[in-house]
Amino acid sequence: MARKRNPARLVIALSVAAALAIFLLYASVAGGGTPSLAPSELDGRTGRVALAGKVVGRVTGDAHAGGLRFVLRDVKGTSTVPVVYEGSVPDLFRVGRDVHVEGSLRNGTFVAVPDTLVTKCPSKYAPEKNAS
Amino acid sequence: MPELGRAALVATLGLTLWALLAGAFAARTRRRRLALSAQNALLTAFGTTAVAAGVLVAAFVRDDFSFVTAANASSRDLPLRYAISAGWSSQAGSLLLWLLVLTGFSSAAVLLNRRTARDIVAWATPVLGGVGVFFAFLLVAVASPFETQAMPLDGRGLNPSLQNPYMMAHPPLLYLGFVGLTVPFAFAIGSLLARRTDERWIVTTRRWTLVAWTALGIGQLVGAKWAYEEVGWGGYFAWDPVENAALMPWLAATAYLHSVMIQEKRAMLKIWNVLLVIFAFSLSLFGTFLTRSGILSSIHSFTQSSIGPWFLGFICLVVLGSLALVFARLPLLRARTKLESLVSREATFLYNNLLLVALTLTILWGVAYPILTEAVRGEAVTLGRPYYDFFLRIFGLPLLLLMGIGPLVAWRRASVRSLLLTFAWPLGAAVGVGLILLALGAGSSIPGLIAYSFSAFVLGTIALEFVRGTRARRSLAGGSWPRAFSDLVARNRRRYGGYVVHAAIVLLAIGVAGSSAYDTVSEGRLARGQTLAAGDYRLTYRALEERPAANATEVRAVLDVRRGADELGSVEAGKNAYTAERQVSNEVGIRSDLVTGEDLFVIAEQVNPDGSVYFRVFVKPLVNLIWLAGLVFLLGSLIALWPDAREQRRLATRYAAAGIPARR
Repeated sequence: MARKRNPARLVIALSVAAALAIFLLYASVAGGGTPSLAPSELDGRTGRVALAGKVVGRVTGDAHAGGLRFVLRDVKGTSTVPVVYEGSVPDLFRVGRDVHVEGSLRNGTFVAVPDTLVTKCPSKYAPEKNAS
Repeated sequence: MPELGRAALVATLGLTLWALLAGAFAARTRRRRLALSAQNALLTAFGTTAVAAGVLVAAFVRDDFSFVTAANASSRDLPLRYAISAGWSSQAGSLLLWLLVLTGFSSAAVLLNRRTARDIVAWATPVLGGVGVFFAFLLVAVASPFETQAMPLDGRGLNPSLQNPYMMAHPPLLYLGFVGLTVPFAFAIGSLLARRTDERWIVTTRRWTLVAWTALGIGQLVGAKWAYEEVGWGGYFAWDPVENAALMPWLAATAYLHSVMIQEKRAMLKIWNVLLVIFAFSLSLFGTFLTRSGILSSIHSFTQSSIGPWFLGFICLVVLGSLALVFARLPLLRARTKLESLVSREATFLYNNLLLVALTLTILWGVAYPILTEAVRGEAVTLGRPYYDFFLRIFGLPLLLLMGIGPLVAWRRASVRSLLLTFAWPLGAAVGVGLILLALGAGSSIPGLIAYSFSAFVLGTIALEFVRGTRARRSLAGGSWPRAFSDLVARNRRRYGGYVVHAAIVLLAIGVAGSSAYDTVSEGRLARGQTLAAGDYRLTYRALEERPAANATEVRAVLDVRRGADELGSVEAGKNAYTAERQVSNEVGIRSDLVTGEDLFVIAEQVNPDGSVYFRVFVKPLVNLIWLAGLVFLLGSLIALWPDAREQRRLATRYAAAGIPARR
């Protein structure tokens, strides 16, 4: 190593190289993110997506035996999609709540990946103003 | 009453505005009396904010639901302790808490330093005042906590998951941390504005940064404990944006705490340190913004939120204004010393900083990614757990290793051979632990194995440092071993406090690796009398009980626990149905083994009408080390924080020698 040069520059060069290498490694190992869609945007999508919508209709079935069945509607809109889900159900899940669930569309039904159902914190930080 | 609160807030706005304008004018024209007046305005603002906070707390305590804030977050049968903590669960209430802590910290910082660092305080006052103006303005004009309505019969109640003792402590601790970072930021900016280029502002605010950083760290652990016990999905941290909001400033502050040592010892990294403190403070504002503006659910809800755009504007103002100031002062910030070798204490601290900042930036990117993709492509793309876990390993494991190397490398220049000699023992410990664990079957998780080997290495170096230091102290001053040990720590509080904090981080790493890399889960639907095996535990579902509590009905499944031939008593898991809030909340059952640090974690996922219950059971090895790490962390911080008369004298002589009077 050349003593005369400023090692700080070497550090910078090395960190830039390391950053690039890490990002390449990441891209090859972990892949990209999950797009978050509303029921109306599902059409023609294969592959894993996160579906966000409002629970409407009746909730039937058993999340730990055969699957919980419910319908999700656009939070602001009318498109709906039936969902079948297995796994743990959050406390706040019920009709009228906004939820988020990952999975993929198969034959018109959204088949969820187990244990991905989350309710969007409705009142954790600020109550929604229904009036406005 | 609400009028009093509103009036107090308007007074606070006026006072902080005076601190900003008069303070800036006084600092620029060097008018001492006007500067004092601006500082006193800050002190008074603390009083008026306290009045406003008192009015709000009183509304919650008296169940005065004509206050909209109280009606939205409390109810008549809510226990008093939670009624008080409900005050900061609302948006406006939490902003008021921010302002209260801010004015309190500002007053203390001004009072403690205005005689010893007068020129910096003169300029820090308008900066603190400016931040105060922003929050006071929000509270007066945008999100008032004192909106009133016709008194309803009862309030809507507090979200059941927030009815937990940890949630009483978590938000105030985080806010102490967020707001605490304002003080080093204000003094850094004050120092730049005053054209001082020495590290006085760092010395002055060292304890402030430590207090803020400790509160932020402990606050996050308390939050993790809350998530573990109350949210009850079997984990304690999920890379949720709300959690990342607190983690990012903590990481940036950690980098800052380390890099200022380089500036103190070697007068290097001046620009870097100023940038880091700006970064940390901006992240603490960004954290408040993330959790309070509604931007997380979607950009659309953000633009509808009342405080969101204001917050974004203020953050931009802070970042751009600070950077412009740093740019203008660049000629003053040039370092006179340079990095001499890539193997030196300075260099390892630099690597530590690069890794911490890289980790912070990747988390920031992950948090911002859905917001950016929604803005650009109209479709939010979220980066999940794999993204964060990947970068935590890539940056976190080298950080863990550096924690062992850094403190033992010589300043300026060290030879690789001397390093190998120094590290022979810890290196041996690391390899030994790695091999033993491999033989025990820990190879099922490579990152876990690496984390444990590195942990052994770091604990080895820390033990070595304590042993060596004690031995040296004893041969120097004589006396008994314990005496030499306590002398050693008392004489170098920063250094040995730092080692204790390092030990806490190692405990944390061991706990996190153990509970995430080596946990087991089993689940199943059990009728009464049936048994489920989980790890080497066997759980038998014995009974289902229902009982009324103060504001909820509790349903509990009772399970008898056995491990081998040992009867370990019983565990209860179930659900609470809250009456006023009309919500159900999961209540998990946890059996902690205090010897091995292992938890048996039982979730009653679903209680069926026929009395059968669907259980999910985790066995989490070593998870209790995480909570133990919190206590050790606190101990280490307290050691480093403890007032040190010797250090003060050292500093006084140093400033006298440098020709900068410590006291004018």
